[in-house]
Amino acid sequence: MAKILSFKNNLTAAEKFSLVRREALYTGLALAGLIIFWLIAGFGLADVDVKIFHLPLWAVAGSIGVWFFAIFISFILSQKLFKDIDLGGDGDE
Amino acid sequence: MNEQGSFAALLPLVMFMAVMVGVSIYVRHKQAEKNFVGNYFIGNRSLGGFVLAMTTVATYSSVSSFVGGPGMAFQIGFGWIYMAVVQVTAIFLVLGIFGKRVALLARKLNAVTVVDIIRARFESNFLAAVAAFVIVLFFCGTMTAQFVGGAKLFSAVTGYSYETGLILFGLVVVIYTSIGGFRAVAITDTFCALIMMVGIVLLLHYVLAAGGGYEQIMTSIEANHPEMLEPFSFGNMPWTIYFTQWLLVGICTIALPQSVVRGISYKDTHGLHSAMLIGTVVVGFMNIGINFTGILAHGVLTGSPADYGGVDNIIPTTIVTVMPKELVGLAIIGPLAASISTISGLLIVASSAIIKDVYLHYKPNVESSRLRILSMATTAIIGGIVFVIALTPPSLIWLINMFAFGGLETAFFWTLLLGLFWKGANKMGALMSMIGGTVIYCATQAAGFKIFNLHQITIGITISLVLFLIGAYFGKPSEQKTLKIFFPS
Repeated sequence: MAKILSFKNNLTAAEKFSLVRREALYTGLALAGLIIFWLIAGFGLADVDVKIFHLPLWAVAGSIGVWFFAIFISFILSQKLFKDIDLGGDGDE
Repeated sequence: MNEQGSFAALLPLVMFMAVMVGVSIYVRHKQAEKNFVGNYFIGNRSLGGFVLAMTTVATYSSVSSFVGGPGMAFQIGFGWIYMAVVQVTAIFLVLGIFGKRVALLARKLNAVTVVDIIRARFESNFLAAVAAFVIVLFFCGTMTAQFVGGAKLFSAVTGYSYETGLILFGLVVVIYTSIGGFRAVAITDTFCALIMMVGIVLLLHYVLAAGGGYEQIMTSIEANHPEMLEPFSFGNMPWTIYFTQWLLVGICTIALPQSVVRGISYKDTHGLHSAMLIGTVVVGFMNIGINFTGILAHGVLTGSPADYGGVDNIIPTTIVTVMPKELVGLAIIGPLAASISTISGLLIVASSAIIKDVYLHYKPNVESSRLRILSMATTAIIGGIVFVIALTPPSLIWLINMFAFGGLETAFFWTLLLGLFWKGANKMGALMSMIGGTVIYCATQAAGFKIFNLHQITIGITISLVLFLIGAYFGKPSEQKTLKIFFPS
């Protein structure tokens, strides 16, 4: 905890902006990953003759599958890759 | 007015709206008197993760997500859900790309609105005025669509007149937004998002029960509507729709001012991280849940959409057909909550565009009491104007909604993305991009001009980028002191 607080408070403005820029890049890469997953899960599986709960595989993978993948991506981004920082101003933690 | 509805159908909505007004009055009462502008327009940067997630989702999810969307799913099938699910990107993208950068800059610049940040980045009052104008113009279009969609739904389900619906939920949302400001909007949005989810579960339950269960409905769809199980729906769902929807309701939504402003409003980064995760869970649940319910409505509605008066009437007809009479009033709150939350979210940003971005910029020394009255009055007047327009509803309302969405994205996408992440972005590029892109987008919409039958957002966003780059190349670079603020090194 102390290490996290120290990390948050010791960053310079330049380091914060650099970190935020990197996180935005991660988000962009995550979007690219999601688009590829979406293409494979839907169009890619459209000809597979497998059904789950009366639904073709592409319909399940292309809807719930994409949603779960997006949740996974959000988790990795927000809980693993993104760092807590002190935003400054009145709204500081 | 032809009033044939039952009061029982009206009561839950009346109670819901009363709670919304109560919350708003409470928030107004609790808000500190100092820093009125910060309090009223961004809730004094105090939102936690859960509320931030819910208000972002609720503002983003409009009544068309709950009425027109599932109606189209009824017609198209699972291809529609496959297309709609791209919206799961909306929350983590906007918060992940802009969330922290906007928060840092807002605190540095003491900015309250997205236009404040644009003004500072491009050192241009003219660009700021154009941005404020674009916001008010397109927001009025979107809000009109929400008013009309909500009131039509209300009328179809409860039996009361369109005007009664408009007064009951339309006027009330204007009142509570005017009183409570952004914080009230955020809290009521949270209520709305929760009630939307309850509404989806409730409707899904009764659709399944009335249709004889999931297996029976799906067996019927397999036998009678095989096209619904194909991604292209036997030609009803061309690739062009998939492509443009990725832009319109996916990638380009990161630049919607009503979403970006949420980056100014949260308290700390821990809350932002939570909001990214919660928001993605909620937006996916809503999109898949309501569109899946639209498909399963085949278990109770055996005709084509035309038999029920078009795709927009599928969900209202389903509600009336499957829900017990005493629950109809409850079921309608979900879709109306989508409408209400979008209106309130847009209304407060439109009001800030006029008061904070224009009026206060040219007249900074205004007494606090006068500012309070002006802000609340402006919110009420914008809402009132849209309310009056909605009294005589224009046709093709869903097209107006999408038109406004595309216009905002064309105007703000490159201005915000390049402006905040590229040092080479400058005033001339931003001006050419915002004005030129928006004008060309509107012109192609008016002329019905399309390339490869793609939605005009593709033209708008491409022209907007080209103009930005031309302007950046030929225009004067930004001042060093500005670059030091936006790109400290």
